[in-house]
Amino acid sequence: MSMRHVAVVFRKELLDALRDRRSLFSALVFPLFGPVLVVVMFRFIAQQNSPDAVVTLPVLGAEHAPGLVEFLGAHDIEVQPAPDDPELAVRTGVAPAVLIVDPDYGERFREGRPAKVELLVDNSRNDARSKVRRARRALDAYGSSIGAMRLVARGIDPQLTRPLAVEEVDLATPQQLAANILNVIPMFVMMSAFIGGMYVATDSTAGERERGSLEPLLGNPASRTSLVLGKWLATSALAGTSMLMTLVTAGIALSRAPLEDLGIEMSFGVRDALQVAVVMLPVATFAAGVQLLVATFARSFREAQTYLSVMTLLPMMPGMWLTIMPMDAAVWTMWVPILGQQAVLMDVIRGNAVGPASFVIPAVLAVVVALVCVRVCAWLLGRESIVFGS
Amino acid sequence: MIRAVSLHKRFGAKIAVDDVSFEAADGRITGLLGPNGAGKTTTLRMLSTLVAPDRGHAEVDGLDCQRDRAKVLERLGVLPDARGLYPRLTARENVRYFGALHDMDGDVLEREIDRLFALLDMGELASRRVHGFSQGERMKVAIARTLIHGPRNVMLDEPTNGLDVMSTRSMRELIRRLRNEGCCVVFSSHVMQEVAALCDEIVVVARGTVVARGAPDELRAQTGEDDLEDAFVAAIGTDEGLH
Repeated sequence: MSMRHVAVVFRKELLDALRDRRSLFSALVFPLFGPVLVVVMFRFIAQQNSPDAVVTLPVLGAEHAPGLVEFLGAHDIEVQPAPDDPELAVRTGVAPAVLIVDPDYGERFREGRPAKVELLVDNSRNDARSKVRRARRALDAYGSSIGAMRLVARGIDPQLTRPLAVEEVDLATPQQLAANILNVIPMFVMMSAFIGGMYVATDSTAGERERGSLEPLLGNPASRTSLVLGKWLATSALAGTSMLMTLVTAGIALSRAPLEDLGIEMSFGVRDALQVAVVMLPVATFAAGVQLLVATFARSFREAQTYLSVMTLLPMMPGMWLTIMPMDAAVWTMWVPILGQQAVLMDVIRGNAVGPASFVIPAVLAVVVALVCVRVCAWLLGRESIVFGS
Repeated sequence: MIRAVSLHKRFGAKIAVDDVSFEAADGRITGLLGPNGAGKTTTLRMLSTLVAPDRGHAEVDGLDCQRDRAKVLERLGVLPDARGLYPRLTARENVRYFGALHDMDGDVLEREIDRLFALLDMGELASRRVHGFSQGERMKVAIARTLIHGPRNVMLDEPTNGLDVMSTRSMRELIRRLRNEGCCVVFSSHVMQEVAALCDEIVVVARGTVVARGAPDELRAQTGEDDLEDAFVAAIGTDEGLH
């Protein structure tokens, strides 16, 4: 092995990759997606849950129920004239719901019989659900206040009609929802390590053989280990760059997200960011090593790409698991590459204290696995069936 | 000097090379002639260290091709059957990469690239990316990359395959030139005329084994045929795949 040859291969693969639109795209554009998506989700949740938001409710036949309309207006529900086709308006989402007041409303109301109102809703629309719920609650409140007044007028305690006092406590607070979304960020950072180097890994192994440059390359006196090390470092460099970019974008995105509106306190400083980078960079070398090995086995460029695309799902699995079932860094998770990093990362983000072992063990392990992959790759390049593909 | 000593190689049930021996001397052009599938490429791959023989051994300048791989490759320039280039690199960068892997650098490397590009009449091509080059232009880059480290032994696998008339002519000139500079040149071909026009020594290979060997005149004498083509057919036993 010669460090000089390693450097020569590293520089060549990097130059080659930087001149390729596909590899640049996967390394530099993907990092923007995740964080931006998270911020969009945050804004959406904040908007949906902001308490002062006024719900607009088109009402057909408002003139029949002036009391009801006035009550709704006093409860932050802005009554509008109904559109020409109320059903279409609800179905297409133009209005969250439409209230239709029966022409007999006034007469029945005066006679003390149930006065009919229809609330047109579309339960398959998630975006309308919370608004419909508020309209519904306002209607119920109006109904029970009128009912109570009628009872009082007849000398009956309205409480008698409420044998049960049901109180619903909603545990899905917006804070918790937002915190769960925050947990997605480590997953995006992990994925960027796998996506950033994917193209170089394929191009420098399966691609090298497919375009017929592997045989001439092996005709050089450089050792196979030097060649693979150079390719591994180039792949790691792109994967690492992609990862750091995702981190930086995530940092910028979070600093602009309406976290305080959602009641989330997060103090994620430069020190934390550096910690995260230290935890994550070994993942880039790990991803690069495994990808090179898998792509060397593949019979064609296409086949290699298919394998590596499936592999990008790998870091999503622990990510999803931890999103659904957040857990602390248990002792055994340290010994599983990716899972170990993920667990430490969650602790760092939550501001928990992390011991040095949880940093060092997953890092060393990831690099060791990567080097084993490099060694096996170099051995494979000495095999006729791999080099000549027969 | 390149030497094959009783080389044997099989891939699964298929015997690719079944006892091939020959010696290619310095300052001479040795042609490996045989129909497609005769075992020429496998023989050259064993000589270029990439395939390990099942039996026998290959040598370059007295060094064993398996045990002294790096040293052999320092003295050997190989144009293999696969001659792919890096399309996003320029012609110069392609050649520079291989030169650097031979531990060349700086002015020495750049001057050698200039010399080879002048010799191959590359002119404008040098600074252009290889993507979109014609067959002949690609071959020039591949040849420059093969010769960048000034090897004393050169092995070319079917070097005129897919080349037009002009490129074929300049390839022949280059092969003669290398011989006149004292190099040991081995090339394989399935085209009889080409071998006849160039070679000092011919090794006829068929069904994985050497069926005849010698200078063109000796071959005529061995087979008792006046015409060289008839001599080849007689040696191989069939004219299948020999065009």
